[in-house]
Amino acid sequence: MLTTAIIAGLVLGGTYALVAMGLTLQYGIARIMNLAYGETMIAAAFAAFVLKNALGLNPMAGLLLVVPAGFAFGYAIYGVMMRPLVARAGDRSALEIDSILATFGLLFVIQGVLLVLFGSNYMSYSYLNIPVSILGANIAANRLLALGLALTIGLTLYGLLRYTRWGTAIRAVAVAPQSAVLVGIDVNRAARFAFALGGALAAAGGVVISMYQTFTATSGVTFTMKALIVVIMGGVGNLLGALSAGLILGMVETFVATYLEPGLTLAATYAIFLALLLWRPQGLFGKATR
Amino acid sequence: MLEVFDLSLRYGKHLALDGVATNIERGETVVILGANGAGKSSLLKAIAGLVKPDKGVQIKLDGNPIAGLPPHLIPSMGIALVPEGRGVFGDLTVEQNLLLGAYSSRARSGEEARRRHVYELFPKLAERRRQTVNTMSGGEQQMVAIARALMSKPDYLMLDEPSLGLAPVVVTELFETLGRVRETGVALLIVEQNVRISLSVADRGYLMEAGRIVGEGTAAALRRNSAVQRAFLGMA
Ligand SMILES: Nc1ncnc2c1ncn2[C@@H]1O[C@H](COP(=O)(O)OP(=O)(O)OP(=O)(O)O)[C@@H](O)[C@H]1O
Ligand SMILES: [Mg+2]
Repeated sequence: MLTTAIIAGLVLGGTYALVAMGLTLQYGIARIMNLAYGETMIAAAFAAFVLKNALGLNPMAGLLLVVPAGFAFGYAIYGVMMRPLVARAGDRSALEIDSILATFGLLFVIQGVLLVLFGSNYMSYSYLNIPVSILGANIAANRLLALGLALTIGLTLYGLLRYTRWGTAIRAVAVAPQSAVLVGIDVNRAARFAFALGGALAAAGGVVISMYQTFTATSGVTFTMKALIVVIMGGVGNLLGALSAGLILGMVETFVATYLEPGLTLAATYAIFLALLLWRPQGLFGKATR
Repeated sequence: MLEVFDLSLRYGKHLALDGVATNIERGETVVILGANGAGKSSLLKAIAGLVKPDKGVQIKLDGNPIAGLPPHLIPSMGIALVPEGRGVFGDLTVEQNLLLGAYSSRARSGEEARRRHVYELFPKLAERRRQTVNTMSGGEQQMVAIARALMSKPDYLMLDEPSLGLAPVVVTELFETLGRVRETGVALLIVEQNVRISLSVADRGYLMEAGRIVGEGTAAALRRNSAVQRAFLGMA
């Protein structure tokens, strides 16, 4: 049971990490607190569902369609909704507040569309639902695939941001936008790109989750909350922080559900969040800057 | 040639620059002197596109208008600014700061050679490639700022009070290095409060007061100028 719990925790945590990375890009670099983030994920989960059931496309192939669509969606939303807010906002906190209000509206629009199209039932599809034995524990292959995908996407992104000029530029925009301009970085374009990349990650997270979990048109909020918790735990804009914090949260939730009481997982999540806000608001790995 | 014609600039109602005209030739070193609040930084920021001058103002680079261009395009025109307070990326390493210095497409060709040259100019930085810039001394950070600007392959390098907050020995060292930068053919437009040392590297200079240019001349003439002597050189 312990091995099963650990692996299940890693799978869940990997997904959280993947999802939180997108949110931390949007918040840390584009300075937009996207409350519709979870809805983007769920929309992607439904897209994978439709592609699988209606077109017989397996979710791995679905990923190749849905992720670019997530990017395009983020890019468009930034251009249409966020750009005017950015242009109007005098400073960062004004943009944060405006973006919270605007994306709060967007949340209900996406959710409404999903409710109309799919109703409020829990959905799932069956994909690679075959048990694999690891160290004596039986794990569904789709969960292992989900973990593999989350880690691959997450680490690739980290590598790109850490080791390329382009990635360094994106990070520079996050920490010092005034200076970024001096070396010729188009800060607005970088912000839009980061927001779109966040959309792509949300979409990837949605597809990955749909591979092994049931979901409904209204489950977005929970994911936004959890992603937000992971982002704050990891430190805003810190990708490796998000990765580790995601894994920690997934482990804690799984262990609480397995050994204490499944009904307590959300409570445990929020307890961690509260403790964090009180003692380390800069995140587990962040420096105390802001 | 970089030319500024009749540049006026307002912050709200406050007229910070009032009909400023300056020019600087390729390879020339020009210093801008003036008391606090004279508008020196505003002039550099206007050239860098960071603040918007009044409508109709002309700033020309080799005859082409550049006023009103978004600031991120200015480095690719060959104009780099080291701002007041340096503007380095404190969370990044020396190496990463230099990598970003060469961000614009103009800077990509010959990047490796330029990096070597920059490390020769600033041997201290070569030893500390992997150090996070936040953890460096003020003088070292100023070197990073200049090194980063040089990585953009500038024809014109603008420096806003590079000596600010540095110990006298460090200032001397810094201006020696600027002298060597000057020898490579980069034009320097330097705003300074430290008049003596900046006039020692300059070909020419302007004197600013309350948003206007009130004097100009060769470095030697400015050193003899009674207004400069009174205001900056502590002579009666
Ligand atoms: N962002 C701003 N908003 C309002 N007023 C400003 C702003 N920036 C500068 N000013 C004003 O414009 C005038 C010129 O400022 P500027 O910074 O160009 O002077 P300076 O010559 O660089 O001074 P210092 O030697 O102190 O750096 C000053 O009166 C200053 O108060
Ligand atoms: Mg100034």
